[in-house]
Amino acid sequence: MTDGIKRRDFLKVLGVTGAGATITGCSEPERLLPYVVAPEEITPGVATWYTTVCDGCSAQCGMWVRTREGRAVKVEGNPNHPVSQGGLCSKGHATLQHLYNPDRFHGPMIREGDRLRQGTWDEAEQLLAASIGASANLMFIGGRMGPSMSNLVDQFVASVNGTRVEYDAVSDAPLREAARLAYGAAGLPRYDIAEARLLLSFSNDFIETGSSPVAHNKGLARMNAVDAAGSKGRFVYLGPRLSTTGLNADEWIPIRPGSEAAVALGMASVIASDASAAGPYADVLRAYTPASAAQAAGVSEDAIRELAERFASESPTLAMGPGVSGHHRHATAANVAIMILNEVAGNVGRTVHYDAGVTAAASAYADMESAVGAMAAGQVGVAIVHGANPAYSMPEASGFVEAFSQAAFKVSFASAMDETAALADLILPDRHFFEAWGDSMPRQGVMALQQPVMQPVPHFDSKQAGDVLLATSAHMGNDLGAETFYDFMRNGHMEMHDASMGDFETAWHQALRDGAVEHDMAMADSAPQLQSPDAALSFDAPALDLGGDLTLLVHPSPRFGGGEFANSPWLQELPDPVSKITWHSWLEMNGNTAEQRGIRVGDIVTVTSPHGSVDVPVWIYPGIREDAVALAMGGGHTNFGRWADGSGVNALALLPSESEQPSGAMVTLATTVTVTPTGERRRLATIEGSSDQHDRPIAPAVALADLGHAEEGEHDDGHGELQELQGVGGFVPVPAEGGAATAFPLEGSRHGPYAESHELPRWAMAIDLDKCTGCSACVTACQAENNVPWVGEEQVMMGRDMNWVRIERYLEHVDATQAGELDVRMLPMICQHCANAPCEPVCPVFATYHTPEGVNAQIYNRCVGTRYCANNCPYKVRVFNWYRYMDENVPEPMNWQWNPDVTIRTNGVMEKCSFCMQRIREVENRAALEEGRPINDGEIVPACEQSCPAEAIVFGNIRDENSRVSQVVSGERTYRVLDEILNTQPAVHYLKKVTFHEIESGGHE
Amino acid sequence: MRKHWLIGGLAGVFALAGVAFVQGGSSGGGEGAVGQVEFGQPIAFPHDQHAGSEPGQNNMDCQFCHFSAERSVDAGIPSVATCWGCHIAIPGTEHPEEVAKIQGYVERDEPIPWVRIYKIADHAHFPHMRHLNAGLECQQCHGEIQEMQVLSKPDEWWTPAKELFLGQDPVWGGDNMGWCVECHRRPDENGEQQASTDCAVCHY
Repeated sequence: MTDGIKRRDFLKVLGVTGAGATITGCSEPERLLPYVVAPEEITPGVATWYTTVCDGCSAQCGMWVRTREGRAVKVEGNPNHPVSQGGLCSKGHATLQHLYNPDRFHGPMIREGDRLRQGTWDEAEQLLAASIGASANLMFIGGRMGPSMSNLVDQFVASVNGTRVEYDAVSDAPLREAARLAYGAAGLPRYDIAEARLLLSFSNDFIETGSSPVAHNKGLARMNAVDAAGSKGRFVYLGPRLSTTGLNADEWIPIRPGSEAAVALGMASVIASDASAAGPYADVLRAYTPASAAQAAGVSEDAIRELAERFASESPTLAMGPGVSGHHRHATAANVAIMILNEVAGNVGRTVHYDAGVTAAASAYADMESAVGAMAAGQVGVAIVHGANPAYSMPEASGFVEAFSQAAFKVSFASAMDETAALADLILPDRHFFEAWGDSMPRQGVMALQQPVMQPVPHFDSKQAGDVLLATSAHMGNDLGAETFYDFMRNGHMEMHDASMGDFETAWHQALRDGAVEHDMAMADSAPQLQSPDAALSFDAPALDLGGDLTLLVHPSPRFGGGEFANSPWLQELPDPVSKITWHSWLEMNGNTAEQRGIRVGDIVTVTSPHGSVDVPVWIYPGIREDAVALAMGGGHTNFGRWADGSGVNALALLPSESEQPSGAMVTLATTVTVTPTGERRRLATIEGSSDQHDRPIAPAVALADLGHAEEGEHDDGHGELQELQGVGGFVPVPAEGGAATAFPLEGSRHGPYAESHELPRWAMAIDLDKCTGCSACVTACQAENNVPWVGEEQVMMGRDMNWVRIERYLEHVDATQAGELDVRMLPMICQHCANAPCEPVCPVFATYHTPEGVNAQIYNRCVGTRYCANNCPYKVRVFNWYRYMDENVPEPMNWQWNPDVTIRTNGVMEKCSFCMQRIREVENRAALEEGRPINDGEIVPACEQSCPAEAIVFGNIRDENSRVSQVVSGERTYRVLDEILNTQPAVHYLKKVTFHEIESGGHE
Repeated sequence: MRKHWLIGGLAGVFALAGVAFVQGGSSGGGEGAVGQVEFGQPIAFPHDQHAGSEPGQNNMDCQFCHFSAERSVDAGIPSVATCWGCHIAIPGTEHPEEVAKIQGYVERDEPIPWVRIYKIADHAHFPHMRHLNAGLECQQCHGEIQEMQVLSKPDEWWTPAKELFLGQDPVWGGDNMGWCVECHRRPDENGEQQASTDCAVCHY
């Protein structure tokens, strides 16, 4: 973005042409406000795109931001980014809502007694400088930040003789420590999931958290794909609870919490004929056998022995050690054990690399414990918190709140109120990363630039933290070498620039345009060797605090992470990929456990640990061991914004404040609990109808062994059921032209009624269920693109949720009592754009009809809201605006996010997936301007396809037999949901999931 | 046959409703003549002086100011700097006081709050560039702007009546979709329909 636009000028964009809100009423006419000086890069009505880096979590995925008239309106994955390689998660999309969060501070806030008053930046910086000058011992508590910012903070802290503490609420410290102990590695290992033929995850939820969820999700999907030789990678999940990641496994071995090390070493002992293969860990390995592993894990010895044999023979394989949900008191040792397993199976250098130096959030909680100790002892004069919210994200037992209050002067860089900022004396609201400069180094050799994509949102007088530190230093007479953070960062990059790569300016602009630069790294020639650990490691089962008879599993939420995303209504309303519950918290409990205690779904129970208790409703889940219950992080905020406060409970209230040794990570798997019904019940805000397909072929599967063996006519399409119905007189077909009444499919109906007779495209979509992981990124992407409102918890409970994409999750076979096959089907359900659509003939006003291009269109201005169409839709993909959600639920400036190319719907109007009609039109318009050239295949990319990290969705013209979508659907796995029964002839084609186990007729077990 | 009768009946009902609507509109609006806007523009901008081709007029191309009409869905409103680019040297002969207002906006660093005249509903998408590239003239929808000194809100409700009873070709139909569709339906030299009348071409 150029520096030429002033904030005032930006304000003036608001009303410009078309995109502006209509001012109605007879008192004041609508105004058109032009720019005072038009910025060169903006053409009204045409999107301007910027490349930047997502700062939502430590993965730092590449991002493209679509801006319209100077406002960011949509974010997408950058396929050119060397780490994330395209795609974006739900949280990445929701960073837009942080930008326009109405709860952001309007300016620097200065405490006066009990209240905060807004001050000026100069005043605030003077105050900070004076406070630092007046009291010794500054402590800077900082979350994850880019290399330049980190460098600046180090210099700033050094200039005032302070100390810096790194703190990440959700951290991979045990993995990093294990890599250091075992291999002397500098960062986290890099995984090549796509290459693995057998993948083991030991409680590692790599598509939800960890060093790069988007890249790992893509890797898993690629591994799952059936290759030319007709084989595919197999995924086995070992852990007490199935997370979203776990639900994608082909087998589940429900090992006891904390038994990962025993299982991994038991397996390694089978693989390594000679224990000396484990180098310095030979003695450790000798102590383990499959029998001891089976004993520790509570599963059969055969299962472990058999898995070990496959792990050795199906090379290359890959095992991943416990992530945040498995951070027990021996988590580092468990990760080392998994590294030993990878070592003996020969995976190092093939699927797992230790020389890549993946940098992710991996700070030691132990450092925070000492920081709290220092503050409590009154040894800290000025405490500065940046990019972290320890008052929420540290367990209550840590005493952070009391200790922080002991600091003489407390400063927060929070851009919106949070639990820590509420305690501060001075709040210096930082910019959102869409308004600021920065950089990131997701791994050694990859440097990505984060550039502002718009002028700061004018409602909020924010300032980039780096600039504040530089200005404060200047007030104190310290020169950190630059006046602005931009200069500081650019100078740093200029110093690092390798002259052999050409001119710096060119390289800088290239990096800004591409988003990331990958340097060739001198990779070690020889494979790294296992080293003797320089710290004591215990591979025994970790101790648990005795609080009851059920083990408490606390895991980061796929929606809220550690809680930092809780104030986004998109994410609040996003159904959890596992439970399908929106908004509030729930306790996951196995059905057998619940039955023994007389607990039903929706019963509110009190969960009590030795450290605290919470009241939470129960959701019954077969994907959790009978001796455990699970609670997600991220709920129960008290001072975090209007959507987060009071929603759910904070799982950390049940945990001790304790760090694992030697990594220093916070333990999350630490205690047992009692669960006592309170006698109260509540309705869960769930969107799930059923987790069972009830013998309908909605998400059928095919066994790998059966692929390529289907004979003509053998395929059971469920059409027999239709004939049965007809036989009993329930349905009498009218003789149709061109075929017998019972013929299926009707002649000429393959691509819809128009397709054979004209030259227009027939838009269609293919969704590969073998790749879909149910991560729900498409749900949020669609919501952002199509101005889909959120309705709130109450309305969801009434079944009025409005998402256009619904990920159906069918639990076909989930057994927590023994190791075995796992069969879970994920199916993104959107409008199927039926050629023979049941919704169309019942609309009394022709508001829904079929376009000649094969899209089932919904014309909002025609709709009178009878809802007949929704009643007649067998897929239940039509949603109705019961209220003016877009007016009533969306405060200024959250409405700045709206996509100006999509009509805002009002109450009384039905809506549904449009195949991103606005994107089709945009490409058509562009092609028409370029001498009416034809539209290229793959040029139209709906929001869901763009966002899908698993590359499961393909959109295109199915009439063109060379198009990607035609190619994809030409295989034998293709089917259309309920088509054989209802003859709806959808344009959305699904590709069956491929399982390793046999599938019974009809696609069910 | 029964169907025709039904359609006739419905048309009658709608016609009555239409009359009631128009009456309601004209009595409740508090405006003078139907469609007249009582708000003046912040600057009395004469389109004829700029774009007219009479002697003494400047014959400027519409897209000199409405710069993005050929490449964007929006035609574009000129920035204050665009006005000032010429008027820094042209003080105006008849109404220098109006021209001087531009300088005021420039100095105050403020946009000129023009009153919007032409607007179609938010639920309809009108891509300017597609129409211009199809060979349409601005005047075909907006009227002979280059001859107008003051742009006033066109008489939208009058459009279908003009068509029906007077046989006139109306410019600017506003929210009357029939006005758009009439042109989309018109056959080209080969007798083929000129543009799609699929609803989702404009409504999405």
